Amino acid sequence: MTESSQPEISQDQIKGLLQKTSELPLEGEKKLIVKQLKESTQMSADELPVNSSTEIIQDLSQHSNEEFNNEPVDRKIEDPIQEQLQSSQEESKNTTQDHSQRFLTGEPIDRNTILTKLKGLHNDCSFLFAANKLGLKLSEDEAKEENIDEYLNAKRNDFFKTIKSVIPSIDNKALEYLYVKHGNKEDSIEQAILDFSNTSSDSIAQGKDDSFPLVETSSMKAHLITDNGFKSTLLVDTNKKNFPIDTSSPKHSNPATRSSSFQSPSQLSFNKPPLRPNSQNNLPLSNSPASSQRKRTKEYLNRDYKRLKPDLQWKRFIGALQVNALATRPTSKPVEYGSQLSLVKSIPSKNKRIFDSSGKRKNAMSSFIRIMDTKANRELGRVPEDIARIVFPLLGDSIVDFEATMVFCNNRRISIGDTFVFQLDCFLTSKSFEDDEESTLSQGMKGLGEKNSTFNKGMTETDSELHSRTQRMALLNLFDIISLQPILDESKALQENATQKMPDFIDLEDENYNKIDITDDSTSIPSTQHQEDAMDLNQIQSFYKAAQSLESIQNLPETTPSKDIFSLDLRRYQKQGLSWMLRREREFSKVQTNNDKTDPVSEGSITNPLWKQFKWPKDMSWATQKLSEISTDLDDIFFYANLHTGKFSLDKPVIKSMVRGGILSDEMGLGKTISTLALILSVPEDTSIVDKKLFETSNDLVIDLSKPEDAKRPYASKTTLIVVPMSLLNQWSEEFVKANASSEVTHELYYGGNVSSLKKLLINNNKPPSVIITTYGVVQSEWTKIFKETSPHYQVEVSTGLYSLDFFRIVIDEGHTIRNRTTATSKAIMGLSSKRKWILTGTPIINRLDDLYSLVKFLNLEPWSQVNYWKTFISNPFENKQFKQALDVVNSILDPVLLRRTKQMKDIDGKHLVELPPKEVIVEKLEFTNKQNKVYKQFLDKAELSVKSGLARGDLLKQYSTILVHILRLRQICCDESLLGTQDENDEDLKNSNKLVNNKSEIESILKKTEDKQPNNSFTESELQLVTQSLTERFLKNNSYKNMECPICTTDPIDFTDSLFTECGHAFCKSCLEDYLKFQSEKGRDHNCPTCRKEIDSDRLITLQCNSEITEKPNFIHYDNNHKPAKLNALLKHLHVLKDCSPGEQVVVFSQFSSYLDILENEIGNSFKDEDVEIFKFDGRLSLKDRHIVLQNFGKKNLNKMKVLLLSLKAGGVGLNLTVASHAYMMDPWWSPSLEDQAIDRIHRIGQTTNVKVVRFIIKDSIEEKILRIQERKRRIGEAMDADEDERRKRRIEEIQMLFE
Amino acid sequence: MASLPKRIIKETERLISDPVPGITAQPHEDNLRYFSVTIEGPKDSAYENGVFELELFLPDDYPMEAPKVRFLTKIYHPNIDRLGRICLDVLKNNWSPALQIRTVLLSIQALLASPNPNDPLANDVAEDWIKNEKGAIAKAKEWTKLYASKK
Repeated sequence: MTESSQPEISQDQIKGLLQKTSELPLEGEKKLIVKQLKESTQMSADELPVNSSTEIIQDLSQHSNEEFNNEPVDRKIEDPIQEQLQSSQEESKNTTQDHSQRFLTGEPIDRNTILTKLKGLHNDCSFLFAANKLGLKLSEDEAKEENIDEYLNAKRNDFFKTIKSVIPSIDNKALEYLYVKHGNKEDSIEQAILDFSNTSSDSIAQGKDDSFPLVETSSMKAHLITDNGFKSTLLVDTNKKNFPIDTSSPKHSNPATRSSSFQSPSQLSFNKPPLRPNSQNNLPLSNSPASSQRKRTKEYLNRDYKRLKPDLQWKRFIGALQVNALATRPTSKPVEYGSQLSLVKSIPSKNKRIFDSSGKRKNAMSSFIRIMDTKANRELGRVPEDIARIVFPLLGDSIVDFEATMVFCNNRRISIGDTFVFQLDCFLTSKSFEDDEESTLSQGMKGLGEKNSTFNKGMTETDSELHSRTQRMALLNLFDIISLQPILDESKALQENATQKMPDFIDLEDENYNKIDITDDSTSIPSTQHQEDAMDLNQIQSFYKAAQSLESIQNLPETTPSKDIFSLDLRRYQKQGLSWMLRREREFSKVQTNNDKTDPVSEGSITNPLWKQFKWPKDMSWATQKLSEISTDLDDIFFYANLHTGKFSLDKPVIKSMVRGGILSDEMGLGKTISTLALILSVPEDTSIVDKKLFETSNDLVIDLSKPEDAKRPYASKTTLIVVPMSLLNQWSEEFVKANASSEVTHELYYGGNVSSLKKLLINNNKPPSVIITTYGVVQSEWTKIFKETSPHYQVEVSTGLYSLDFFRIVIDEGHTIRNRTTATSKAIMGLSSKRKWILTGTPIINRLDDLYSLVKFLNLEPWSQVNYWKTFISNPFENKQFKQALDVVNSILDPVLLRRTKQMKDIDGKHLVELPPKEVIVEKLEFTNKQNKVYKQFLDKAELSVKSGLARGDLLKQYSTILVHILRLRQICCDESLLGTQDENDEDLKNSNKLVNNKSEIESILKKTEDKQPNNSFTESELQLVTQSLTERFLKNNSYKNMECPICTTDPIDFTDSLFTECGHAFCKSCLEDYLKFQSEKGRDHNCPTCRKEIDSDRLITLQCNSEITEKPNFIHYDNNHKPAKLNALLKHLHVLKDCSPGEQVVVFSQFSSYLDILENEIGNSFKDEDVEIFKFDGRLSLKDRHIVLQNFGKKNLNKMKVLLLSLKAGGVGLNLTVASHAYMMDPWWSPSLEDQAIDRIHRIGQTTNVKVVRFIIKDSIEEKILRIQERKRRIGEAMDADEDERRKRRIEEIQMLFE
Repeated sequence: MASLPKRIIKETERLISDPVPGITAQPHEDNLRYFSVTIEGPKDSAYENGVFELELFLPDDYPMEAPKVRFLTKIYHPNIDRLGRICLDVLKNNWSPALQIRTVLLSIQALLASPNPNDPLANDVAEDWIKNEKGAIAKAKEWTKLYASKK
């Protein structure tokens, strides 16, 4: 290929070479070809009508007589014109996308491009003589047309030849263009030459693209045949060798059907070392013309030979594959190990196109790829479809070069259908790196955006687009199959990459991403615009996960603002945040660095996220391995590839980020406000403006973020505008006052027309306020006024408001407000102008990825702020389920501009960013009381029956609400059986089943049943009478019932309403004696009277009952040990203990049943004295005003009074701040653990100073334990936020099954 | 248990404000359920003039469960073993929540006054006591003098 380095070959040289070659006689060969053609036409009569084929033969022989007098030595003579036509055809197919894109975008192709092309022509010429390869496309169909076109073609050829002789350096495309333009005129040649010399190369270049409609290619091909056909048929390979064409094998049957039979997977392998007889470069010239082999040349008319472009400077190994191929031709002896093979591509004919008109793949690509034995010059077989899909689109283009070597054919002759193994080495060629990256980046992307818009107009893909897409896919798949992965965690040395590539990214849909079928995305791009593009929880989580590249955050230096300007203390992470923000604003002098590491972000350049970095793999190609050839090794370790566009680069592609500002996205409660105020106070004004003012310009040229018209706005260089939601206006103002330490710095609210002229205030003022705080509402209304009503004259109008100025800095709080860019608010915010922009939001994504777009747009984050870019690289891939890709890009975009910390994050010392006092959640398992147990069993039986029958019949869903009612009842019994028949307002699935829930008669009948069964060990009437009599004697007569001491708790005196008497006449507190009896039962001990050790029975206890009149003495009655429900008891016990220990405690009791809260209110009230406990109830029934009052009263600390807040889980689950309480009791478990967690977080949040103790009451061996299990499961699998109705129900069914298993 | 039941507080108060003659009980400062106890040897017993140190611990389940009491001073007694453990029915199965620290300590004092070698804990001592009561009492007196004399 030495010739290719020669830039120029003159026409004379060409002539000389032609003469040399003319010495070769080749009459016999010519005949052979004719014979071959005849045979082939017979064999493929169905494909080629007899008459037309005979015509071809006639033509061919005619031409051979005319033109083949000078058959070249090596039968490789090439007509440069033909070559050029060939390449132009190819190019129009292969690379039209680029051209057409440029053309569509109206972007001129500069002179350099043309010059390169013209130069390329020279190279092509030299290439011919360098005995390189050449391809020719010709389909059978086209062959039919050749007769018709013969005249035209001959004419064209003459035209070309003449022009060429005049302008040796003319590009063939230019030729074609000129021909089309002038070919039909009388003085065509003169005109053309004139035209060529007159017109700029630009116009030709553009005209070339324009005037090369694909339709014309067929006639061009036909023309080629007639003129140069014979030479073409003898075209020779590719791999530096010329050889006779093998045609010995029989004609194919339908290749598509066969290809399906060998889809064997290819594998990577580098073994099997034996020597290859002939090295690649010194293969002897094939001197085996073996004319007998040359039959059916016809087949090879359709061949497109692989070739290396002459201007190829190097190629570099990227991977090797071992491919199992299927033999399609028998061989007489084994193909030697290490034989060089080549892959040959045939161009599909019209009726056998690979893609149909709509771009769907119709035929297997393996039909069009043949494996050739280079040495024997004969076809061997075909590659499996998966390989063919990769090879086919890439073969013939100079991006990737393939080399094939026989590895294994079982050492015997190959029969048809045998499989053999060859090694396929893949190389990237220098050609692929040649494009000027700067321009391709922007052009390519603009082109893509443009393409997208044409899609939207409903246009289908053009062939060239299809081709380039196929090529991209092939490239992707190739990289995949040779395991060439982008470097994610490139050595620590290249830190910037490590931070950008997110090694711990959750692999969302990687499968999908890598194995996209080519057909998949062909039509989906335009149609998915309106698809549901909400993100699910996992995706959002993974986004956030990636957004917090922990290490880099931890390593941020801390900047402490001076006390003179900032009066608050910042927490450590806030100081780090300040450093980050200062860096984002390029205020490096203000950043206090602890160690002088240069932060890549600070340099303002980030890797273009569409580009992936790859490492050159070790050269394992056959040539290097087996022949110890030294490959063209370059020093580069890495290369960069944009697999989306098929572009390669050796240099790192970077995007310059000139945006000053960013997104501060710390989690709620981490002090975004404070951090921002610290920033504002640290850098209150634009210091660079001082110099600028000398030049009387308000437009900062260095940071040209603003649109042209903004330049006209005067620059309020000392003022930051803060836009906040209305409700936060005062809070910001207060915070500012708190934080501000300098009397020099002031702030102003811009709200409700309190400022008549902002301009006057900010510009014509020596000491303008540093901060203007306004609301979204104000901004929006000003915007509406200016841009909607008086739009034509708005420049006149805008003399006072926010839009009259260019601010130094804008901060938008709760920035997700603008997430929908179609809203007026969003548009209004976009219209504001400033040099620096900040977005504060705890939730940059509410539910879709596009939420981020508005933020990016506000920040003017080029190029992503252009909607086309965003759509092409983020929205569309995401909608096409290429989540990983989309999120990767998003992350690379946002990584430098977004800072997010969460409470869970730890600082460099391993401490949480926010230290909350410890939280202790105890599950207290309780047992049913006897009565509860009996009722529960009854309802459980019923429920189980219903579920089982539902499962058996398979209509569980139909009985959905019935079963939910069953479950509801079981849950209610766990709390209190008197809840039965009431509603569960939290369960939306039960809202419409009131009837079922309220079925009182059913409940009552069951309750009755359980009562009847209750065993009775109690007193008989006479016994009772005896006992009460003796007790009355002992206690009532002498009034001693008023000063009894409980021997157990030593309470003195016992409240007689709360007293309990044994048969033996000893008095105790109710709870004490009950506890004692329970304790003794648990320990298996006897029930003895604590006082006298006489045996006692829990069914034989006496209590005192008050009569209605207070004055009258109470009387003894039998104590019905109808125990209070287990949970109530437990709660009361806890409260009593708490009351004893710390009387002023505030306690929150959660339940999901409002009616249970009523019961609790009652019982707690009865159990405590009014002066000891105050009870508040907060549920959905409470009005907004009352809620406020309740919370206020509950919040007031009273050291002598316990305050109990009964809180409905639903009403009080969110938003409330109950940090005054440190004890909470959860009476019943809810399905969703997150809701419970949220409820607990009402207490355990910033502001809580003491340890939090939460007790969850769960009844043992009941449905509640199973609910706990379901909660566990939910915590594990995560709850989808937007799970749809069906999904939710399905899960619910699974849960129901869990409940009853 | 972080919180102390009312009853324990009440009992403690009473033990201090209204102590039983010959018995002291002081709760530890860092654990109000743990008491240092001294019991004077009853008159006319082998343990007369002795002051015996004990420790008393109120378990979490007190008063449902009996307190744990143990002699710290070495004592020669058939119902008290070498580790100071006491064999006393009210500390075991005859415990009742109606009993209190005060009553338990009184019971122990009574046990010193009337050893019961027929229900022994320290078998060697009990054997000695049955075989040679005088010798045993003498030994008990000697031990009392040796280990439990007033300081």
